[in-house]
Amino acid sequence: MTTSDKFLSELINRLGQEYVSVDSLEKLVYAHDFAALPKFVKLLFNTTPDVIVRPKSTEHVTEIMKLANEYKIPVIPRGSATWGFGGTVPVKGGIILDLTGLNRIIHLDEKNGLLTVECGVVWEDVIRFLRKTCWELPTYPSSALSSTVGGWAATGGIGYGSLKYGPFVKNVVKVTAVLPDGRVIVVDDNSDPSLSQLFGSEGILCVFTELTLKMVPKNEAEMPFMANFSNFANALMAAQEVLRLTRPHSLVLRTFGFVRTKDYVESDAYFFGCFNDNRRDVYEQYLKLDSIVNRYRGYLVPEDEARREWEERFYTLRIKKWGPSILGNEFIIPVHKILDMVRYCWQLGNQAHLDVEVEVMFISKDEALMFPLFLCDERKPIRYLMSAAIAKKVLDVAIKVGGRPYGYGLWNFPFMEIAEPEKKRELERMKSTLDSQNLLNPGKTIGAEVMLGLPLPGKLYSTFMDGVWVLRKVI
Amino acid sequence: MFIIPKLQLEDIFACAQCGYCVKKCPVYYFLGWESTSPRGKMFTLKEILGNNSRLDEQKIHKLGKPLSMRFFNCTFCGLCKEVCHVEVDLLEIWSKVREVLYELGIVPESIIKLSETVKQSKNIYMMDNTSRMDWVTYTGADVNFKDSAEVVYFVGCITSFSGRVQSIAQAVSSLLNYVNEDWTLLKDEWCCGHPLVLSGAIREARVLAFHNVEMIESTGAKRVVTGCPGCYLALKHEYPRLLGKKPKFEVLHSSQLLSTYITSGRLVVPKSDITLTYHDPCELGRISGIIREPRVVLQSVTDTFVEPEYFGRESICCGSGGLLKAVNPSLAESIAQRRYGMLASTNVEVIVSACPTCVQTLAQTATTMQNGKRVIDLSQLIAERIGLM
Ligand SMILES: Cc1cc2nc3c(=O)[nH]c(=O)nc-3n(C[C@H](O)[C@H](O)[C@H](O)COP(=O)(O)OP(=O)(O)OC[C@H]3O[C@@H](n4cnc5c(N)ncnc54)[C@H](O)[C@@H]3O)c2cc1C
Repeated sequence: MTTSDKFLSELINRLGQEYVSVDSLEKLVYAHDFAALPKFVKLLFNTTPDVIVRPKSTEHVTEIMKLANEYKIPVIPRGSATWGFGGTVPVKGGIILDLTGLNRIIHLDEKNGLLTVECGVVWEDVIRFLRKTCWELPTYPSSALSSTVGGWAATGGIGYGSLKYGPFVKNVVKVTAVLPDGRVIVVDDNSDPSLSQLFGSEGILCVFTELTLKMVPKNEAEMPFMANFSNFANALMAAQEVLRLTRPHSLVLRTFGFVRTKDYVESDAYFFGCFNDNRRDVYEQYLKLDSIVNRYRGYLVPEDEARREWEERFYTLRIKKWGPSILGNEFIIPVHKILDMVRYCWQLGNQAHLDVEVEVMFISKDEALMFPLFLCDERKPIRYLMSAAIAKKVLDVAIKVGGRPYGYGLWNFPFMEIAEPEKKRELERMKSTLDSQNLLNPGKTIGAEVMLGLPLPGKLYSTFMDGVWVLRKVI
Repeated sequence: MFIIPKLQLEDIFACAQCGYCVKKCPVYYFLGWESTSPRGKMFTLKEILGNNSRLDEQKIHKLGKPLSMRFFNCTFCGLCKEVCHVEVDLLEIWSKVREVLYELGIVPESIIKLSETVKQSKNIYMMDNTSRMDWVTYTGADVNFKDSAEVVYFVGCITSFSGRVQSIAQAVSSLLNYVNEDWTLLKDEWCCGHPLVLSGAIREARVLAFHNVEMIESTGAKRVVTGCPGCYLALKHEYPRLLGKKPKFEVLHSSQLLSTYITSGRLVVPKSDITLTYHDPCELGRISGIIREPRVVLQSVTDTFVEPEYFGRESICCGSGGLLKAVNPSLAESIAQRRYGMLASTNVEVIVSACPTCVQTLAQTATTMQNGKRVIDLSQLIAERIGLM
């Protein structure tokens, strides 16, 4: 019996056959995440998992981690794989820990508005569950129809409602986490490690298994809005004023459709969002919004249309079908740099002959999450690879103007050193303390490894991408 | 080598892998593995596309039966298409893939058996097709066989042969008589072909379509009514594609006909205080868009009509679609139990649907439950309320 056979039979012994798969089709579909991988990636990394496990409890996760330690096999936590930074893509095989089976809503503390769920619960189920109660979620991602609660705790945690209620991390009181050595800990703001240390750690420090979330009382009124503008600059100025004078639940600014770079001068734009408060406040805020939109020569669309847009808020990638592929990146950027950044994206799109759309989700008066999307076609592999460098180009400039990546994972890891060196040091320190064997999601976030565990220096990766960008012009 | 038509090819690549379909899929709900989800299947397809937009035969053969099982473990409920981020016509893709698998002979044994059965006996039960009308004798329905009529009642295999739901045929006939409709049954009705389309056996389905259209058109009927959403789909949407031309008759589901009778005053149903819930059959509601009409009919019966969790376009499959019952009966049963549970939790007296397969499946599930509810078809409910049954 080889080591891997022994490991597998022990895994099956401890968990049961129904939770473990080595099926070749399964390995195929668990070897990627939301983003389409350029073919060359398969030359660098072993993206095929050795085994996929679907634990049903925290105890299962513990068992798996202990066994992985014993046999020194990497473990890659996976929610719904909707994060596009390669966080769930294996780089040297290993165990995919599919956490979607941990999907129970455990308990609602009706009095205090605290909801305890397992990590694999999909946001939509939480939203549905709360309909029958007097509570609602303060914040949720725009991928709420598929992404998991644990997946958001491990990543950015900014979404609808964050403008009013703060990011996800501010709305969690307690989590249960399994550490890389299999120990189970309960973490809150005062524990060591603390919630904020583990939050957003992209699956490299722990596996969240249970989370207790803060709810907010349901508001008396909810009023979606949407306003169209004939140019992006006006829309942006209006949005800034809306932020100054009102308290929206969410505010999202977008270019209209996607901008055909060939014949376009300045794009139309629109913003949409929602007020939620008591009836009078909502009404007053809406009146203010109306006058702001007028002042910036915009057009406030009728209420039913605005409601439809709000109901469509989870469908942010509709335009992908025109690609049929997309490339992009996500970063947090100072609000006063948005216009420069958008113009730069248009310029890049123009250079690469790619149509572009930009979405900006405001987090506060000062910061926004920006998501430029370039339409491309992965069926043309050389061109796709060349265009992939655009994701790096965008980020280079975003960091220069004071921004930071919204996630690192596999694709943005070289940027952490430049954008958030202190955070990187802290993560490295915690990683070496908690995961000395480097088994939990190795080769991500703070450094990458190619096949055979060889390190991939961030500089080399960056230079390669820059080279690809230059080569694009030549080809 | 199979060439995927351009639009479908674009669709396969356009799939955002966002996973909105994953959580909704009733099959994934029980199996839980990514490869069984619509998203997983779309990714698999992308991987088995060779160069130049062809499905690579060799890769298909290599993946063989496990691959085929992924595509046949599907209820064709269309929820994946409904929630698709990029509006991909996933049902169209699943059909195309089944067609390819059937051509290559990589389909589950039960599918081969089923298609052979239909080919030979012209029904899905391997019965002598001349016994198709036996339900008339069993139920004592008052039925005419005419050479020509305004309306043809296309009964369908399940309603004709399955004892549990023959009452639907009895109900529809009695209602047609009640409103003095000029109607007839076909003298030689064959399976509508929908099960063959679902098997991927398109050529064989075409033969059945040709026969049925010829039979219907020979009566000069302007309208065909059926109580089976599968037959409805076949007659209305699949036949024009299979035959390359639109048949000369209008196709109606019995719920549509009943709703026009009621709104025009031709049929008056006495109101009662019975409590009801309604299960939207996938092929009728989400796929064919017939959601309002059954509710018009139900609301004529009672004011205490309760919508279940997930209804209309969001309705969840009863487990018997897409030939799943033949391919994976235990999975179909689990799905049925889940849906039955949602319906029963409305705490009404009667569960109504408008499909012989859904009624049969849910009624069967009810018998396995303590205090199982009564499950009946819409037409039967109306016939009973009027006192025809
Ligand atoms: C249409 C669309 C809209 C989106 N909108 C938003 C948005 O508004 N805001 C936003 O922040 N993101 C958004 N995203 C990105 C993504 O959906 C979120 O980051 C989401 O929270 C990821 O959840 P998941 O369950 O898919 O996690 P996965 O993609 O499976 O995992 C993401 C990372 O977290 C790790 N991980 C997953 N589960 C756990 C766990 N339980 N414990 C420890 N580590 C874990 C994984 O290893 C991986 O590194 C969007 C994506 C799409 C496709």
